[in-house]
Amino acid sequence: MISENRIILKNAGHINPASIDDYIAAGGYGALAKAIREKPEMVVEEIADSGLRGRGGAGFPTGIKKKAAAGATTAGIKYVVCNADEGEPGTFKDREIMENDPHLLVEGMVIAAYGIGAGKGFIYVRGEYYRSIEMLQKAINQAKEKNFLGNEILGSRFSFDLEIMPGAGSYLCGEELTLLESLEGKRGYPRIKPPFPAEKGLWGEPTLVNNVETLASLPSIISHGAGWYRSRGTEKTPGTKIFTISGDVKKPGCYETDAGVKLRDLIDDLAGGTADGKPWKAVLLGGAAGTFVPHGWSDATMCYDELRERGATLGSGAVIVVGSRRKLIPFIQNILKFFRHESCGKCVPCRIGTSYLHAQSLLLDKAGAEERKAILNDMLDNSRQMAKSSLCPLGQSPILPVESLHRHFMETVAVE
Amino acid sequence: MNAKETMVTITIDEKTIQAPSGANLLEVARTNGFAVPGLCYHRKLTPTGACRLCLVKIEGMRGLVTSCTVKVTEGMKVTAFDDEIENTRRLLLNYLLYEHNDTYDGTYPDEMRELIIRYGLDKPENRYFPSVWQTLPFEKDDTSPVLTYDPAKCIKCFRCIKACDEVQGKNVLSFTERGIKSFIIAGTGVWGESECDGCGECIQLCPTGAIVEKPYRDVIELDKLERTVITTCPYCGVGCQIELLVQDGKIVRSNGVEGVSPNDGRLCVKGRFGYEFVHSHDRLTKPLIKRNGRFEEASWDEALNLIAGRFTAIREKYGSDALAGYASAKCTNEDNYLFQKFIRTVFGTNNIDYCTRLCHASTVTAMLKAIGDGAGSNPIEDFETVDCLFVTGNNIIDTHPITATYVKRGAAKGQKIIVVDPRWTPLVRYATVWLQPKLGTDVALLNGLCHIIIKNGWVNRKFIEERVEGGIEAFSQLEELVSSYTPDEVASITGVPEEKLELAAELYATSSTSMIATGMGLSQQVTGTHNVFCLINMMLITGQVGRERCGINPPRGQNNVQGATDVGCSPANYPGYIPVLNDENRRKVAGIWGVPYDSLSARPGLTTVEIMQAAYDGRIKAMYIMGENPMISDPNLNHTEEALKKMEFVVVQDIFHTETTPFADVILPASSWAEKEGTFVNSDRRVLRVRKAVECPGEAREDWKIIHELAKRMGKPMPGYRNEAEIFDELAKVTPIMGGISFERLEKGSIQWPCPSPGHPGTPTLYLENFNTQTGRGKLFPVEYSPQNEKVDGEYPLMLNSGRLLYHYHTATMTRRTKALRDFVDEAFVLMHPNDAARQMITEGSKVRLESRRGVIETVARISEEVLEGEVFMPWHFTESQVNRLTRDELDPYSKIAPFKLSAVRVTRI
Repeated sequence: MISENRIILKNAGHINPASIDDYIAAGGYGALAKAIREKPEMVVEEIADSGLRGRGGAGFPTGIKKKAAAGATTAGIKYVVCNADEGEPGTFKDREIMENDPHLLVEGMVIAAYGIGAGKGFIYVRGEYYRSIEMLQKAINQAKEKNFLGNEILGSRFSFDLEIMPGAGSYLCGEELTLLESLEGKRGYPRIKPPFPAEKGLWGEPTLVNNVETLASLPSIISHGAGWYRSRGTEKTPGTKIFTISGDVKKPGCYETDAGVKLRDLIDDLAGGTADGKPWKAVLLGGAAGTFVPHGWSDATMCYDELRERGATLGSGAVIVVGSRRKLIPFIQNILKFFRHESCGKCVPCRIGTSYLHAQSLLLDKAGAEERKAILNDMLDNSRQMAKSSLCPLGQSPILPVESLHRHFMETVAVE
Repeated sequence: MNAKETMVTITIDEKTIQAPSGANLLEVARTNGFAVPGLCYHRKLTPTGACRLCLVKIEGMRGLVTSCTVKVTEGMKVTAFDDEIENTRRLLLNYLLYEHNDTYDGTYPDEMRELIIRYGLDKPENRYFPSVWQTLPFEKDDTSPVLTYDPAKCIKCFRCIKACDEVQGKNVLSFTERGIKSFIIAGTGVWGESECDGCGECIQLCPTGAIVEKPYRDVIELDKLERTVITTCPYCGVGCQIELLVQDGKIVRSNGVEGVSPNDGRLCVKGRFGYEFVHSHDRLTKPLIKRNGRFEEASWDEALNLIAGRFTAIREKYGSDALAGYASAKCTNEDNYLFQKFIRTVFGTNNIDYCTRLCHASTVTAMLKAIGDGAGSNPIEDFETVDCLFVTGNNIIDTHPITATYVKRGAAKGQKIIVVDPRWTPLVRYATVWLQPKLGTDVALLNGLCHIIIKNGWVNRKFIEERVEGGIEAFSQLEELVSSYTPDEVASITGVPEEKLELAAELYATSSTSMIATGMGLSQQVTGTHNVFCLINMMLITGQVGRERCGINPPRGQNNVQGATDVGCSPANYPGYIPVLNDENRRKVAGIWGVPYDSLSARPGLTTVEIMQAAYDGRIKAMYIMGENPMISDPNLNHTEEALKKMEFVVVQDIFHTETTPFADVILPASSWAEKEGTFVNSDRRVLRVRKAVECPGEAREDWKIIHELAKRMGKPMPGYRNEAEIFDELAKVTPIMGGISFERLEKGSIQWPCPSPGHPGTPTLYLENFNTQTGRGKLFPVEYSPQNEKVDGEYPLMLNSGRLLYHYHTATMTRRTKALRDFVDEAFVLMHPNDAARQMITEGSKVRLESRRGVIETVARISEEVLEGEVFMPWHFTESQVNRLTRDELDPYSKIAPFKLSAVRVTRI
């Protein structure tokens, strides 16, 4: 029987999120005070040593991003941007942090900014997250009063200002380059890579873009050291991960455990097992841009590399459990409808491919078994072509659910 | 190619290629013969990467990458064609056909259709998917006067959006909705209700015919075109290169010509849609002779003999100086050159002038005196690259829309823009600072700027010592004169706050390169010449001239207003600005023309307004008017009308009946610009070819042929020119600044004068080494501000300013015969400040009467804070509301320009 290991969510539910004093009493801003006494390079080095990987979904090593942003030069100013546009279906971990411990994110951002030498930060929050926005704004105001933000922070020569920007309801704006477009006040279209944000990001300046959970991990890394952080999780995915478990389970919710936990333990021990007590049919890991896995994967290790090697994804940490009696066809139809709806329309394969895939998935309803297999084959071909030719990650995403469905559930779908 | 560019070696499909480092891979591939497909990429736009058709493989990069978004680097190994890539491209085209209506009506170039055929998808059996565009919620947008947008034909390539934004700087277009439902909107909805001004750049760059021209849609068939002709736009002085499509003897479309100066494919609404007048039913097609007060059709022989006889008789009775001619800024250099030669050699007088006197005469006068050339000093491209642009009295976005595209692109890159204008103009949106002086206070304003520049030590003393006549001593005189123009004094005269004066002076003087663009606002005043002297003073003391991207430019209003003066349509100068006063000049010109030296008048002639005044006084008895319409364009029209009536004999040669033709005794049907060969000179001194696209209607004739024939019938025949090229060759002999130019050279591209010899490349920037004055140095002309004679009082409490609109042109004889332009605007108006309007109970759309001390007109009111309180503005194009009934013919003593910009009026509700 496993239990949670809360580092990021340690304060959540225990302190008043609207009170900076509560946060400070719980040790808050201690990491910032410590960081600011160090040289910025040392802070970046410490984060790199911790092996922290980006918690937005791709699992990119945070230290590499920070080093790139720290090393970039500009005549203007650098930016830190927090990606809080939590839009992946089945994912609600960032909201948990922002609503229940907003200062943790603020502190993490100031530390990151100090490390790379940024002068200004933005938190791009999902527009529907009213409470997150409210709590963050309070936190920012309080932090300014206490000089954790603003000019010459804590008597140092480092100044940093932080602003909230609400999103306007686009999944794609959670993609970092699209997010920057939106933040600049433009329509949310993906940018062409390269250049990457560390080189030319917001308004063409070097920019560090990190997910909420990633930034919220920084205070504990600075407080306790890289070695302490590395002692958690797996070698390649150190630390903890917040999993958001939803679907046909008894206790859906947010659970923070060491990375590398077994899938079975997440579902059975933390989420209380399936709602009907029977073995689950499938789990969708990582949200809509995620992969279906069958019950045979109960022993899967929940870390980036192992899942990737096995052809699945950890993604944002979404674990959507499909119970024994639930059908998969409506499920995939819903996912593809979502992609069609969220495709921005900029590039041809995504704009038309997402529409085509959804149309094909609707044909599954009335098709016979062999026809269904043929349709799934066609969907797989098209999503492969889309992945190959699309401009941004959105068009490269349908392959994940489609291919994993094809691989593990072809026969199930055929007779469903 | 820039010599500094380093070359790299890359391979594409194993072929080794040299290319400039950093060049666009798709461009490199295509220029080296690899027909990589692509629909969203366009040379003029930033890469988009939307259509994905140009995908290639590059060694070391994951998967497929769009070549349009990649810059070449040393050693790059590219695969442009293999089965996988081609299959992906074919799938992508299939995807496009899923949402795209590919029916084709043959009326527009269709890049996508070419690819459909290339990939065999024109055959339905080869297509992968059925089409669904019929089921998408798309509606055609037919609301624009000039274009139609069909979302079902749109492939969402972004080219129109970027054409509007990056090329034209208008930023009207964008997408609405998302994904497969997305389509283009203008502003917040349909085209017809948006800020779209109809330039059609989006049409030109659309690869699928989703955006198409409205005019001639049901006529044009691309495979039935007779010819396409590259020529020069007949409207403003930018000189845009256009391609006319001709079908069944008619112009059916006009496109911008890509890749050439000055417009690189860009056009404005007039250039793209303003050709309809050529085929108007109103065209004059037969000579008309007035008999018993009515015009009757006559043969050419009859008309020409009558004219020759009357002109000869009047010359013999009253002397040569009783005759005069108006040349035309709309006609070619060849027409105008022969016209002035006709006036000088056949009439025997220097009474030759034209509407330049009414626009930039003061500018040219001041520039000739102070720096030596009466033309803009810089190429048009400098409007984009200069650091600081000082725009004064110049509504450049409406009057020179393509020059403005350069300015807007500069602004997007951080160019500092100073706008001086008593009225809000669209350029104010792009301005760093806007000075809004009261009408007629420019000398005070500019002296004030010089005061601030001197006070702050922003003067370039080295430049003054080296390049200004009289050096520091001359400068001291200016310094003394402007010492009393303190910021608070100037602020109280002009109404411009001191801090804005300070900022403008600093930006202009301290930017590394600054350039002046001056317009009618400054020139059309009694103090016009003084205004421009002040501008030049400011330019000289700061040394913002004599280097590339520095200088002074008066963007010219008409297609060939520059050329007509260049080739001698001036009472004081022979072609090439050679004074008639100088004996030696006269001898030289007489030699080339083969006429006796003493047959050329040594007396400078009368100017445009002076000619009318002399006619009024009975000293001018007859006139030959070629393509001018003084009954709209001259100041104080009631006076002009009397003058025209008093003359014994008036010939008007034009393409339409105009407000002036009723006063003619004979009307000759002439040619439009599309019906003849020749040249124009644009604002940056670029000599541009005009080419014949269609035949003259009816019996109408090319202007030069009419002049040539008249000369013969008046007993002073000119050489037998076989064509326009031969006229130009003679012109080049007389005109040293064009001495090296010929039609043959112009076939390879336009040339900027001075170009004195056949090997000379032309001169993009003037004054780099010397000024064109006798001493080679620039001259300062310190001048005092004096209040205007025209004053408001209790009876006439408002000051009237006049100007132009984007959609209409000069006396509107051409633009109001083009439906597309009429559909945008077809009515005059007076712009009033809300407070002035309220005093007279005038509201938006009220019918009003405007009265000045000289005349009365009627129009409707528009209420806006675009004008200062106490000032009103009216466009002058409209014959129903002739602004020049109100203006004065008090003249600038130096240039004889009239003050169109300043007339005291009262406005009352009817």
